[in-house]
Amino acid sequence: MSSTYNHTILQLDNVTFQYPSDKMFITHLTFSVGNGEFIGLLGANGSGKSTILKLASGILKPSEGSVRLWGKPLHFYKNKDRAKLLCYLPQLLDINVPFTVREVVSMGLYPYDMPPEMSADEAIEIVGLEEKSGSYITNLSGGERRRTFIAMTLLQGAGLLLLDEPLANLDIKYQIEILRLLGELKEKKNISIIMALHDINIALQFEKVMLIKDGKILGAGNPGIVLTKDLLKEAFDVNIAVKKNNSGGAYISYGNNF
Amino acid sequence: MPKIKISILILILVIIFLVSLCLGPRVINPLSLNDLEKEIMLSIRLPRFVVAVLMGMALGASGAVLQGILRNPLADPYILGISSGASLSAAFGLISGSYFLGKYTIPLTAFIGAAIVSMIVSAFGWKRGGLWPERLLLAGVGLSFLFHAVLMLLISTSTDEGMRRTVLWIFGDLSIADWSLIPYGFVLVILGLGISISRSKALNALILGDEFAHSLGFSVYKERVLLFLSVVLMTAASVSLGGIIGFIGLLMPHIVRFLIGADNRFLIPASALCGGAFLCVADLIGKLIMPPAEIPSGIITAIIGSPYFLYLLRRKNVLNL
Repeated sequence: MSSTYNHTILQLDNVTFQYPSDKMFITHLTFSVGNGEFIGLLGANGSGKSTILKLASGILKPSEGSVRLWGKPLHFYKNKDRAKLLCYLPQLLDINVPFTVREVVSMGLYPYDMPPEMSADEAIEIVGLEEKSGSYITNLSGGERRRTFIAMTLLQGAGLLLLDEPLANLDIKYQIEILRLLGELKEKKNISIIMALHDINIALQFEKVMLIKDGKILGAGNPGIVLTKDLLKEAFDVNIAVKKNNSGGAYISYGNNF
Repeated sequence: MPKIKISILILILVIIFLVSLCLGPRVINPLSLNDLEKEIMLSIRLPRFVVAVLMGMALGASGAVLQGILRNPLADPYILGISSGASLSAAFGLISGSYFLGKYTIPLTAFIGAAIVSMIVSAFGWKRGGLWPERLLLAGVGLSFLFHAVLMLLISTSTDEGMRRTVLWIFGDLSIADWSLIPYGFVLVILGLGISISRSKALNALILGDEFAHSLGFSVYKERVLLFLSVVLMTAASVSLGGIIGFIGLLMPHIVRFLIGADNRFLIPASALCGGAFLCVADLIGKLIMPPAEIPSGIITAIIGSPYFLYLLRRKNVLNL
């Protein structure tokens, strides 16, 4: 019992939330994230993935229920202390001020009084933007912009990353690169990651997925088990199925939808 | 790198400050002053110079802060209606001619007007426990129109002398500068500058977005209220010291971003310094161009500022519009 507790980083218990002028709501949502877990949050547009991540990061406050980080209620943390443990990366990266890439990445150090082990230049190198480090973020492509913010996230160095569609706007090369990078971080530093996504093929690569519809968890666990034809139909309102190819790899069959 | 650029900037500004002290309708050599020149220096030029520097600093810095918290490159300290509220309340004093508090009447009425309007604007901008940039902006623009209309009504129904003084004041009248007003202006401007510079990291994060600011460990609502407060203090102090000087708040942050970058830790102090220097130069030009008449500094800043602003607009990477 105690060992399970020690390994739970984030715990949402009976969390309920409703936007003031919206029908979208989350009711009695319960799940936990263990140390070193890499979870894909899969669901259609408007299914509540972003809302769940915002509740988990403390940006939105639940009307009922609790969010605990390392066993302690999230709102008990000082802002700076929380920022060292938990990092949230929004989906929309809409910036109209000409910060340079290095300036943005360096903001990852804001929660710290003493600079941590990694430098901004190292983080920039990891995402492959060293030649753009002096460029204005406003002049970057969508993918470069996203990689800039991933570098900032790396520099912030939190043990729990809540990433809202971090692969959106990325070329397949960088989708793979970012996933590989996050996988490495998980292995090396035992960090935990929850990543919202709506690409089922990518979700199939995860160890664990949570399938979301209308703010509820339809299923959670290994994608091979969770992503059944029936649940996918319920989540995405379309007839698709997960198939295996000759070499055993799973892929999505679009059936007769075209 | 920004530190070297800032050092060069400070050097240039010091030179501008010194030159503007020595030049005027009568050129004064500060190393050999006679009694008359000492008197001119101490009771006319120096207070006026200090007022110009304080106002310019306040406007430059609050422009930088506002463009950040409103996430709008067109924001300037007057967009929130603070200045038009201050003008209106000062105009009441000027036009009615009732100097019930002596020379403090105009600054005090202007400050009270600015403070009241800031409260109204923030009440409109307040929703669900925080200040919302779009609401603040729209409330400010809406109120500005109202105050402006009432001000025009006042001017159009007032006597000639009251009208001339009011119009002069609206365009920035530094000739009312006086030592007695400086201490309070100084305290408010330094307080506003101190708050905004100490919150500059939070402002950087807020520019990325509220969610980033939260994730980086800032309390979004608290930081925005503090930054808004710094703008109110500086704008109100500036308006009450010498009326309305356009363009400094809008222009300085853009020039400084072009010169040293957008990081608010450098942008706010550098915009303040450039604002101070710019207003000194504008005041000097206003005094020299057709003596003995003086052209209000607000007219000079606009005449120099607009073409430069339009030039910046044409340059790639500067305004990002």
